Parts: sequence; structure tokens; C-alpha cells
Amino acid sequence: MKFDTVIIGGGLSGLTCGVRLQKQGKRCVIVSAGQSALHFSSGSFDLLNRLADGTEVVSPVEQVSGVDKAHPYVKLGDKFAFYAAEAQKLMADCGVQLQGSADKNHYHFTPMGTMKPSWLTISDFDCYDNVAPFKGKKVILLNISGFLDFNTKFIADALETAGASCMIKSINLPELNKLRVSPTEMRSTNIAKVIDKEEVFNKLVSVIIGFSDGFDVVALPAVFGLASDRLVKALKGMVNIKLMPTMPPSVPGIRVQQQLRREFERLGGCYMLGDTVEKAEIENGKVKKVYTTNHGNIGITADAYVLTTGSFFSNGLVAHSHDIIEPVFGADVDFSEDRADWFDANFFGKQNYLTFGVATDEKFRVKKNGKSLENLYAAGSVLSGFNPIYEGCGAGVAMLTSLFVADNL
Amino acid sequence: MKEQHHQSEFDVIIIGGGATGAGTARDCAMRGMRVLLVERHDFAAGATGRNHGLLHSGARYAVTDHESAAECIKENMILRRIARHCVEENDGLFITLPEDDLSYQSTFVDACLKAGINAEVIDPALAKRMEPSVNPSIIGAVKVPDGSVDPFRLTLANVIDAKAHGAKVLVYHQVVALIKEQGRVIGVTVVDQKTKEKTNYYAPLTISAGGIWGHGIAEMAGVKVDMYPAKGSLLIFGHRVNNVVLNRCRKPANADILVPGDTICLIGTTSSHVGFDEVDDLRVTPDEVDLLLREGEKLAPSLATTRILRAYAGVRPLVAADNDPTGRNISRGIVLLDHEERDGVPGFATITGGKLMTYRLMAEWAADLACRKLGIDKSCTTMTDPLPGSREGNEAPTGKSFVMEGGRKSAYVRHGELASRIAAENEYDNSLVCECEDVSVGEVKYALENLDVNNMVDLRRRTRVGMGTCQGELCACRAAGLLGEAHNCTKKAEADLTSFLNERWKGVYPVAWGSALRENEYTKWVYDGVCGLK
Repeated sequence: MKFDTVIIGGGLSGLTCGVRLQKQGKRCVIVSAGQSALHFSSGSFDLLNRLADGTEVVSPVEQVSGVDKAHPYVKLGDKFAFYAAEAQKLMADCGVQLQGSADKNHYHFTPMGTMKPSWLTISDFDCYDNVAPFKGKKVILLNISGFLDFNTKFIADALETAGASCMIKSINLPELNKLRVSPTEMRSTNIAKVIDKEEVFNKLVSVIIGFSDGFDVVALPAVFGLASDRLVKALKGMVNIKLMPTMPPSVPGIRVQQQLRREFERLGGCYMLGDTVEKAEIENGKVKKVYTTNHGNIGITADAYVLTTGSFFSNGLVAHSHDIIEPVFGADVDFSEDRADWFDANFFGKQNYLTFGVATDEKFRVKKNGKSLENLYAAGSVLSGFNPIYEGCGAGVAMLTSLFVADNL
Repeated sequence: MKEQHHQSEFDVIIIGGGATGAGTARDCAMRGMRVLLVERHDFAAGATGRNHGLLHSGARYAVTDHESAAECIKENMILRRIARHCVEENDGLFITLPEDDLSYQSTFVDACLKAGINAEVIDPALAKRMEPSVNPSIIGAVKVPDGSVDPFRLTLANVIDAKAHGAKVLVYHQVVALIKEQGRVIGVTVVDQKTKEKTNYYAPLTISAGGIWGHGIAEMAGVKVDMYPAKGSLLIFGHRVNNVVLNRCRKPANADILVPGDTICLIGTTSSHVGFDEVDDLRVTPDEVDLLLREGEKLAPSLATTRILRAYAGVRPLVAADNDPTGRNISRGIVLLDHEERDGVPGFATITGGKLMTYRLMAEWAADLACRKLGIDKSCTTMTDPLPGSREGNEAPTGKSFVMEGGRKSAYVRHGELASRIAAENEYDNSLVCECEDVSVGEVKYALENLDVNNMVDLRRRTRVGMGTCQGELCACRAAGLLGEAHNCTKKAEADLTSFLNERWKGVYPVAWGSALRENEYTKWVYDGVCGLK
């Protein structure tokens, strides 16, 4: 098999890179194991919320100069704002409606009912310029009975702390009883599949409207529109409905992943789902071929290869007791050799291991044995030098480095 | 401070909610005493819940400590009867590896038989068939009646029965002083950890069952009980590698017991002396992890490729002896101290030493002493009376719908016949909180309403929420929500959720590589990245 570019990893980073390259007329294949950070996102994309020294970031564009010199953003040079805008455009082209700007972070709700800053938020949810948007308002929180991943009590408490008054009610839809037969099935995505049916949706809407009388805000879990945002739009047009993120899996996050994938395929890209690149042939500092699980000894060749396999969770990086490796190419990994440095005894601390990743040169070309491989690039959370959670920059690094790599292959 | 006006509201006050304290409370209550049990944290939060969960046959001590070995086998047989729902009758093997001295085997078997332990030398080939995970290079094997015991369940069953016999139980209440009058201990001053309120309770006898903390409790009475804190570290693996308890047939040493229990298995222990300043916050060191893995793989080589769930450590409540830096040679025998006789302090006694295995016998001794002191003439019946959970009807009724009954079956395993009290009438009660361990909303609600649950760590000890493969990844938030609802206070539930995650992390980070690190990265994303918890 021959392509212009092989992209290894089908999450936010790989799809961004793939869509960009297809638009440039390159023929790409994405090899995806099937998991993506989008599946457990809250529906918001972070660009830069905090610097490594703890300084809060209000304007990513103005404050990006404060990141550490190892941060992938440094390699973007003066193109940071440009690529941030390009990322937003690319999402819009894929049909993903986002609100927000790289000039100023906004606030959005977390599944706990508290607020976090972010760059872009999917239009299922609202964005706010303050942390008490429902102050003085009467809010009714409606949940589907038995759905435990939407914690109304926590949310109500957080909203009340921020000055709202809340009431909690649960909705019992007989159509969902089938899910309840097996208790593990009461999860957001399964509920969304049932509600996606027109007659169930209409029934639910009439129940919601029945409850809404006398309230300023009707808050519901984001369990609508797994395949498209049609129902979300329909809902938001009716009463003063606000959707709130749930615990994973994230229905809007999965939808975004699907929208990106559909656009990539519409542009002619080839998406190999459920496949994994197992090994590569490297000759004279160049990748010659890669082999996948499903295609056995039929290799895939390309002019360029992009590694977007993510970090530990998606097996882009694998930790052993005294070593961290990149399993596909055996690339150089930046990490601390003393395991005591990997962790913080406080779970909510920085956790250094999150900054570990593959070593790359100034064009994000992957290093192996200290030398750049000529045609292998890396993008997204497999990269080293940043802490996606502490700095709040995971989605931004994924999208911006992918665009940069796609433009500079 | 609140004073209790009725000086004689209680006959006996027991300090410490481990197996020994709970057992003593039950025994005293069953003999008609009015009992107060005070625990500063939660039941089984100390050494009781921080060991192998091994239902010792006594074989391990047969050569070095005949008395403990004989006590173990007797109690082993009693627990199989009275605590069926806490016990797995797995059997055990004492294996000899090529690096071990095979001649030790006959010394070992003789000592076992002398202590009344049915030790049977078997062919290594048979041992390998009995336990396929065992190191295939074994050159000798002895079969003994070892098993597994769930210490949380066992302690709780004692508490439930003590309460059923009228005992008053206070958790999260710390004894801060012993009240003395003319040299006699006449009661205790207790602080409610939540409200910080102080209350005095009076009784003619106070019994300290505080394990390693008994040292400090005795000091409050002006009495010296010289404890020797010996830390033991263990590793929990993500699934049950073995079904038979595996021991090394040699003098007790580090990391030579692998115990299956519920869905997991455990390797331990190390033994090292620690200071009293460390006993409240034990950490497992990288060296201990390496040692446990190295030795564990010799028992069952597949441990090398099995995911480690977490590491933890406990402190053995040993009574000090001279010149033993590890504490390995100190007797595991029971120590009952009548401080009236020993130190001239009437109204105070200490029950310590011993083992989880002998908790019932320790309780019997302590209750016998209480009877003598209080002039009660009633004999002990705990060797024959089954604990709640192990009485008639303790197995799940055979159900109609297989799927619906899944969670119910796990509930019967955990709670025996008491599981019939768990609500399962509607869909909501049957919703699953914890997929790994099959815990329903109904079971969580039952625990919250009936089993003295104050926080999520307590809930874990009662129901196994968050003890499975995912270590609380998603169930933590669900359980916290239910806890918030039950206590009608989410601020506390949220603080509780963060401390639960931290408590889990404390056990995970010493072994956080491979899947454990992957899983944690996810948990970190969800709770820190997505939920923004601090």
C-alpha cells in the first residue's frame, strides 16, 4: 500500500493533521486503534490556561511567550495565533460549531458544576465571562433516573455556592427501561442512542417543558445528539435549556470525533479503524515502511509519517518500571531516569510523568539515537515538554502542532 | 464538655475498632455487658485491614512459635464455621524451591503435626496440578489447611452483632484522655472528630485494643506497654493468579506468601522497624516494591507479567523483645495485660500481640477478664455462634433473571443473609455504581444507612467500591454523589472524593508503570482535567 502520508493515531491530533493534508491534495491514511481523548473530553478545548510557574493565563495569544523553552508552542514561532485561528476554521469546516477565541479564555461548566477556563467550547454548551453565570437565577436540574454519571447534587451545590437557587428532579422514561435490565448500560452514549429516536425525543421534550414552568434555567445532562447536533439545536430553541457536561463518555466529544473523521473521509482520506501500527522499517535515517496488526506482512509506504499516538493512555508511550519507551519506532523519549521524579505524592499535583514524551527537532521531526529521522514527525500529546493538565493546553498542542507539521512536511 | 451523668451507663469501654476491639465488644455484649466501642477512624482501618487476609493454618509459625501455631489452627477451624461469608477455603501449599534446603521440610511437617495442623507432603507434580501458577521448578510441596479471610467483612460482622446485643459504637471518635480517680481508670474522654466536641464516658473497666496505638493509649493511663512497630508492605495484583495460598517452606522471611482473595491476589510481606512517628502515614518504598516482585515471581512466575493494582503497608502490633531489628522473631502470641495486677492501675487492661487469625480468642480472653473484674458469671459462646452474614440463608436465592441477579449475587457474597435487606425493588436501586466489583445503588444505600459509613474510604471497606481494576476511576464520582445525597452535604462529599482519590493514588504511585500508569493518567484527566477538582 502506498500513500503520501501515514498518520499513526486517529484522535484529535491525527484527524486535524489528516484533514489539513487532504485539503492540500495529499493522500493520507490514518491508522487508529479507536480510542481518543475526545471521548472523555467535556466539550471544551484548552489552548493555554496556566503557565508552568502557576501564572493564570487570561489571553493565550498574549501570554504564550511565557511558556517554558521546551514547550511545543515555542517551535511554532510567531505562528501561534495563526494556527489557533486555523484550528478553529478547520473545525468549522468539519461542521463543528465552536465558540471562543485565542485572544481571551472563557469559562465553561465542568461535570461537577464548577467552572474552568477554556479556549473553544462546542455550541452544545454555553460559554461565560464570569464564574457565577446563574447568580440570582432559579435553576431546575433534570436528570434521567438511574443515570449516575450526571451528579445533580454536586452541580446544584456548586451553582448554589455561586448564587443560584436549584431544584433537582428526575425523569423516568419507560423507553430507557431496556437499558436498565443490565445495570452497566445506563451510560451517556446508550441513553443518547435511545433519545435520538424522534418519538422518544418528543416525549422527553414535553416532560421537560412540563417541569420548566417558573424556572429561569432548565439544566440537562449532555446526552443528546451522538450522530448529529440536530436535536441539540432543536432543544436549545425551545425553553431556556442549558446542557451540562456529564462524566465520560462524552456524547458531544464523540460526535466531534465522528465529524472530523467524516470530513477526512469525504476529502478522500483512508481511515483504518481498529488497527495498530506494530513496527517500522527504518533505513538510512528514513522510515521506509510500517506494518499494522490487521495487514500483517503487507506494509504501508509513504513519503512522510506522522506519529500522533498520544501519551500513556493510548499507548503512544509505554512505561516500564525503570524506563519509558515509544513502542512503534523506538524513538528517543525525554523522561527522568529516577522514578521518584515521575510522581507527586498528591494526586492533584503536577505529576511530572505527564511532561514526558518523544524528543523532536525544531520541525517536530522525531529523534532516534540522538538524530532526527528525515521523514517521521510527531504531534500532539506524544510530544514532550508540556503538562497538558496543569497548563491546560492538551487540545491546543494537539491541533496546533498537527497543523504546523502538515504545513511543513 | 459533655458529662455523662449516669456513672454506670457502661460496664466496659473498648478502645479500637479493629478485629480485636470489635470482637471484644461483641463477646462482652453477648455476655450481657453494656459496651461502648470507640474507634478514632473507621473499623479495620489499622493493621486489621492491612495484611494478607490470610486464614493462617498456623503452619507458618509451627517451627518457630508452637503456641501461636496451635492457636491459629484452632481459630482457623472456628472461623470456617462462624464466619463462612468472610472465608474462602482455598488450602495452602508450602513449596520448596531448588535454592531452598529440602531437609527443612521434615522439620516443618513434624512441627505442624505437633501443633495439630494437618500438613501433608505431596508430590510436586500433584502440587502443580493443584495450583498451575506455582513455580514449575519446585522440588517439594506440603499441603496445609490455609485459606483467605476478608478482614473488613469479619470486623464489620462483629460490629453488627455487638450492636445487635446493645453495644454503643462510636466511629471517628478519638480517646484523648483516660479519666482517673484515686489511681483507678474510671472512664475516657472522647473527641468527636467531626464536631470536635468532647464527651466523658464512664465505666468500671476500660480495655485498650488499639494495636500499635495501644502504646500511646497505655501512656495516657501512666502505664508503659512496650510495643515494637514492625512495618509490613504488600502488593495487590489485578487478578487472581493463584487459587491456593502459596508459601515458601523455610523460616519466615520477606515476600514469601501469595494469597488469593476475592478478585485479586496479594504478595507480602516485608518487615522493617519503623518509628512511632511513621505509623499513621506509612509509605511503601521502591526498594520494598522491587523486593516483593523479585521474591513473588519465585512463588508464581506469572506475577512478572501481571498488573499490580497497588502497594500498601501495615504495622504489626508486636510486643517488644530485645535484639531483634526486624521483629520477625517476636512471638505472635496473645498478650493480655491486667494493669491492676501488673502496674497497680485498676480499671484498665490491654489486649494486644496476637494476629488477625486469633482475634476471637483475644476477644475471649479480654471478655473473660472483664467478667472476672465485674463479677459476671457467663461463659464465652463466640466459638459456636455464627456471625451475622454466616447464619441461615446466607447464600443468594437462585434468581429468575440472570442479568438482574448478577449484582445481587455479589451482595450475598459480601453480606451473607444480610443482603436480603438491600433494596432491589426498582431500577434505581439496581443501577450499578461500581462495575469492577458489581456494587449497586441499593447496596451503597444499605451501607450508608446501616453500616456507620462516614466517607468514601469507609464505603470502600463495606462494599468494595473502588477496590477493583479501575481503582475508583468512575465509581468514585458516582459513590460520592450518593454519599452527598445521603448526608445532604455535597461540600463534604467533594472533599471526600478528593481524599478518596488521593488515598487510592498513595497506593498506586509506588507501582505506577504499565497499565497502572495508563489507568492513572485517565483518572487524572477525568478528575483534574475535566472535572477541575483540586
